[in-house]
Amino acid sequence: MKRFVLLILPAAVPTALVLGAAVTMGVAQSMGLTPVAGGPQSSLDAYSAVASSGELAPAVVISLSIALVATAIAIAVGFTTALAMTTTRFGSKVLKGLAISTIPIPHVIGAAAIGLLLADSGWLARLFGSTAGNWPQFVAGPWWAATIIEYAWKESAFIALVVAATLSRDADELAKTAAVLGAGPAARMRYVTMPLATPALILAGTLSFVYALGSFEVPWLLGRAYPEPLPVLAYRLFTSTDLEVRPQAFAVSMVTMAIALVIGVSALRLFRRQVVTA
Amino acid sequence: MNRRTTRAAVTATATQWLLSAWFLLPMIPVMLWAVARTWPAPLPLPSDWGFSGFLDALHDSATSAFGASLILGTLTAVLATPAGAMAAYALAYGHLRGHRSLSVLLIAPAFVPPFVIVMGLNVTLLRLHVPSLAGISLVLMVTAIPYTTFVMRSAFAGYDVTVEDEARMLGASTRAVLTRVRLPLLAPALATSAFLAFLVGWSDYIVTLLIGGGQFVTVPIRIAAAASGTGNEPVIAALSITAAAPPLLLLVTVGLLSRQRRRRRASANPVTHTPAYLTASGALR
Repeated sequence: MKRFVLLILPAAVPTALVLGAAVTMGVAQSMGLTPVAGGPQSSLDAYSAVASSGELAPAVVISLSIALVATAIAIAVGFTTALAMTTTRFGSKVLKGLAISTIPIPHVIGAAAIGLLLADSGWLARLFGSTAGNWPQFVAGPWWAATIIEYAWKESAFIALVVAATLSRDADELAKTAAVLGAGPAARMRYVTMPLATPALILAGTLSFVYALGSFEVPWLLGRAYPEPLPVLAYRLFTSTDLEVRPQAFAVSMVTMAIALVIGVSALRLFRRQVVTA
Repeated sequence: MNRRTTRAAVTATATQWLLSAWFLLPMIPVMLWAVARTWPAPLPLPSDWGFSGFLDALHDSATSAFGASLILGTLTAVLATPAGAMAAYALAYGHLRGHRSLSVLLIAPAFVPPFVIVMGLNVTLLRLHVPSLAGISLVLMVTAIPYTTFVMRSAFAGYDVTVEDEARMLGASTRAVLTRVRLPLLAPALATSAFLAFLVGWSDYIVTLLIGGGQFVTVPIRIAAAASGTGNEPVIAALSITAAAPPLLLLVTVGLLSRQRRRRRASANPVTHTPAYLTASGALR
């Protein structure tokens, strides 16, 4: 027993310390504690300041929308890819290889690549012979299209591989059994494939969602300057030369964490229920 | 074949090609720009070919950025892989009190955005005078632990402990059981978990940026700097290929090696582990 406790410490202690310190200090600094000058007084001023500056609400809406749309596309594409990977030869060879190769590409590179593809001087604009001003504003446009596509691209590969790993184990056997028992394609999808894939879809989808919600570099490179999503807003306030707005950076950071936690916890609940009933 | 099945087959083929294009398309301009010397705007292909992007990147200290990324990736793997493996072992066989809270704790960093962690930790690291490389490695290790622990937990779930008993009955010492039985059987899962942890360090941007304060320049930082400006396409492409190639080569090599191994000893039963990609997304962020 003692030996096992010792074995878990190298992972548990740094995790607890880092998360504990980050959250405690984040909350404290968002409430104006440990200020740069003046005595400690706790208040929610930073939260109301960033809210009344009209920056927080758009940031929440934009971040949630980007994450939601990107994850929805990633789930649709990823699930279709997973089905192709587990049922066809082409899928199990070519698509699987392509999805695996997408995985180790860092998101910064993904963002740079999507920029080279979709910008108004990008490759697609050149291929379609679009003249200046004609090309839709994917990069830095009002619909955050390039940002959403980058997330959807990378995360669809991830979701495809996670779901395919779950399906490959026993989906084929079960589907054949169901077919012998008279289930048509629609019934097999509804009663065999979907129940098997749903827990994996929930887990992978949640990780993708939380990632898209909290990642800085992709919207910073591919998005527009204003309004800003949560991580970009937090980063700008944090690195601002005006130290007075530092607590607001932490207020934005804590709001982001709260959203991520609510989504993470509800997904975990949903996941548990799915696993139990499946 | 009736008309309905023909149509279904056509749809299936079209879907497969569309999906292939979806995964492949974003990397095509990168590959073209990497070997383009001049590529004026309306042309669909470069007008002159060459490696000026790579040469410019080299001139602009790309090698030191490459080295810095390599150090971060390696440190993260060296720190997070054994920690995750030991934690997974303890969770699998330890019957620990607070088993569930410990599991939640070790998976939690995957659900907290990295910028939240780094911003919160920054003042503490500064006050304690933690050197920036140590601070970066600590945060990256914590970010990688959910993935290494998860991979090793699924490996232990498929691990047959009775093999160790058999070895012991045949006279193997505790040490021999560890080095001759347990480690070889868990090697594929350990490799996967080390690969994922390496990727966490290799592809990190925000942790290095905020804790390193611009002093610690990695390949992602160079790429972001180049991509935020204009007219740097060849350098962006060259750096992107430089950054994407090592993990891809590693993936292919590990894949080929494990296939060879599997063929060589079809009778032995290495633990089927969670494939590299299973938990990779987090790693690749």
